[in-house]
Amino acid sequence: MPLTKRIIPCLDVKDGAVVKGICFKGLRSVGDPPTLAVEYQRQGADEIVFLDVNASVSGLGTMRSAVRKTAENLFIPLTVGGGIRSFEDVRANLLAGADKASINSAAVEDPKLISRCAEAFGSQCVVVAIDAKRKGDGWEVYTRSGSRATGLDAVAWAKEAAERGAGEILLTSMDADGTKNGYDIELTRAVVRSVHVPVIASGGCGRTEHIVDVLKRGEADAALAASIFHYGELTVADVKRALEAEGILVRKVVET
Amino acid sequence: MMVSIADYGVGNLHSISKAIERSGAKIRVVKDMSRLAGSECIVFPGVGAFGAAVEKLGPASESIRRSITSGTPALGVCLGMQIMFERSEESPGDGLSVFKGEVERLSAARVPHMGWNEVSWDDDPLFDGVPPGSEFYFANSYVCRPEEEVTIGETEYGERFASAVRKGAVCGVQFHPEKSGLPGLKVLSNFVKIAEDAI
Repeated sequence: MPLTKRIIPCLDVKDGAVVKGICFKGLRSVGDPPTLAVEYQRQGADEIVFLDVNASVSGLGTMRSAVRKTAENLFIPLTVGGGIRSFEDVRANLLAGADKASINSAAVEDPKLISRCAEAFGSQCVVVAIDAKRKGDGWEVYTRSGSRATGLDAVAWAKEAAERGAGEILLTSMDADGTKNGYDIELTRAVVRSVHVPVIASGGCGRTEHIVDVLKRGEADAALAASIFHYGELTVADVKRALEAEGILVRKVVET
Repeated sequence: MMVSIADYGVGNLHSISKAIERSGAKIRVVKDMSRLAGSECIVFPGVGAFGAAVEKLGPASESIRRSITSGTPALGVCLGMQIMFERSEESPGDGLSVFKGEVERLSAARVPHMGWNEVSWDDDPLFDGVPPGSEFYFANSYVCRPEEEVTIGETEYGERFASAVRKGAVCGVQFHPEKSGLPGLKVLSNFVKIAEDAI
């Protein structure tokens, strides 16, 4: 029996509330993180991601208290990302109740941070998040919430991050993000085929078929989505039933 | 029953603590490893790396090992299971040697083994009342190779490996029961019951 594919609702958190950014712009508020996380757990989510979208403004404290409150009732893995700048930030998030910390800009600016965290906390705790945008035949890595081009090739950076000890790559297509037109299949597959760690595809999910597509043709190990779940369009259980009908192996949904 | 949770100082102990409390046991988080021996029941959580964890156990290892082999119920989760074996390919240092065997790197195409996978078991009190075919959450790059008859659950990922072991009231699970939804919570409450019956 191979590993099941994971469905991961992502909660973009701003000032302690959940939002969903459209192309990193035009944020609006949709709910309370701990409540939503537990609701997704009930629906059969395999994991939850909290992404702090303005960590530098709100300070890390707000997020940590949301994490602490969530961990009380969440018995599936929780990943926290956004504004994680240092080894101490990673540690603080894990101690607050996160199972994994996702590092983005800080990993690009100091790649040694990846190995330092992997050695201390184990690779399974260290997720490297990559925001990539099409450039010519390849994709370029952007940092600082997509505002800064780095000149790095996304596939090469993913490989380096995995070699340095990242246990997982969270790959967001900036071109697809917010469009609801589907994940970037080509980008996802290129990264999946070049690394030996699991890859979570992100950005562009508008329908169940998009998830089917990125898990099948994109070969992703997991699919992350936000708005299709937040606005009550679909439950995680709906999506999983659809995936099963497509012959994709998923964890059985035990709704409670 | 008071369950002592070993704190190696590197990770999330909230979920495992909450999950054990739900089973009706009390918990105390123990930072000073020399205070683990003599506990009513010990849990080694699954956070960190092998080398760092056994270094933290340090000189307390021998007293902990004696305490467990002379009857203190214990549960090792993920890395916590691995440190109950003799040694690991991951890093130097001696494990607790409560179970005979070594810890080796998984031979699969994609490592870490990250996500929900099935555990198959034959009748065992640790899995009482857990629906057969249940999936559990794994996040591991290494697996234990028991050299004695202790395997009670197995999982397939590139190869078949021991995902649960038990010797009396001493148990190890490679998955994270505290992160495995309802089936995981059931395994933890089963462990608490096994431990209570043993003390």
